[in-house]
Amino acid sequence: MSSAEAQRFVEVVTTVTESVKSQGKFDPKALSSELAAAEMTLAGETLRWMVGKEVKITTDGDVYGRKWDTETFESVLDAVLEREYQKNLIYQAVKDGSTSVRDINEKIGLDLERISYLLADLEKTNKVEFTGMEDSKPVFAVL
Amino acid sequence: MGNFEPRIVAFLCNWCAYAGADLAGVSRLQYPPNIRTVRVMCSGRVDPLFVLEAFKDGCDGVLVAG
Repeated sequence: MSSAEAQRFVEVVTTVTESVKSQGKFDPKALSSELAAAEMTLAGETLRWMVGKEVKITTDGDVYGRKWDTETFESVLDAVLEREYQKNLIYQAVKDGSTSVRDINEKIGLDLERISYLLADLEKTNKVEFTGMEDSKPVFAVL
Repeated sequence: MGNFEPRIVAFLCNWCAYAGADLAGVSRLQYPPNIRTVRVMCSGRVDPLFVLEAFKDGCDGVLVAG
């Protein structure tokens, strides 16, 4: 909006207030691990690397000289961020005591195969370690 | 839920939305008193982490206007 659009400002504030009102009160305590995972994702280097490269890749092209259109780049960025967010949710779940794949699945609802796959990735980047077997279940801990 | 008054953090750009809000005040236009304004020199200054921080501190909504 421009500085002359007082009426537009009033409309936007009214619409936003009505929308937030209808969605009800936000409880940060109930969503603390989701918030922590989102914060890790947004503060992480992956997002900054990708956003920093966006203009170059969509105008000059990547290292192979291929120029990407903005939609393609942004869909890849979305997929990368979703993956980072899921990894960080798993990290938070392990930190909060869900140490086996099945416990993590019960806590965050992601399917078992995806959790195992992302746990392997977390292990590779030294965020989570495999600590041994317990009742024939592999158990993990955060580093 | 009838009397729920949400707290909304509004990040307003100094050059457009903030000036718009100012004009709304000068023109005596009515709007909901639920927003808490944070003036920024450009809406591009707003880091996604600011939005999360606001939610962590217990606000119910965030508005970024530029």
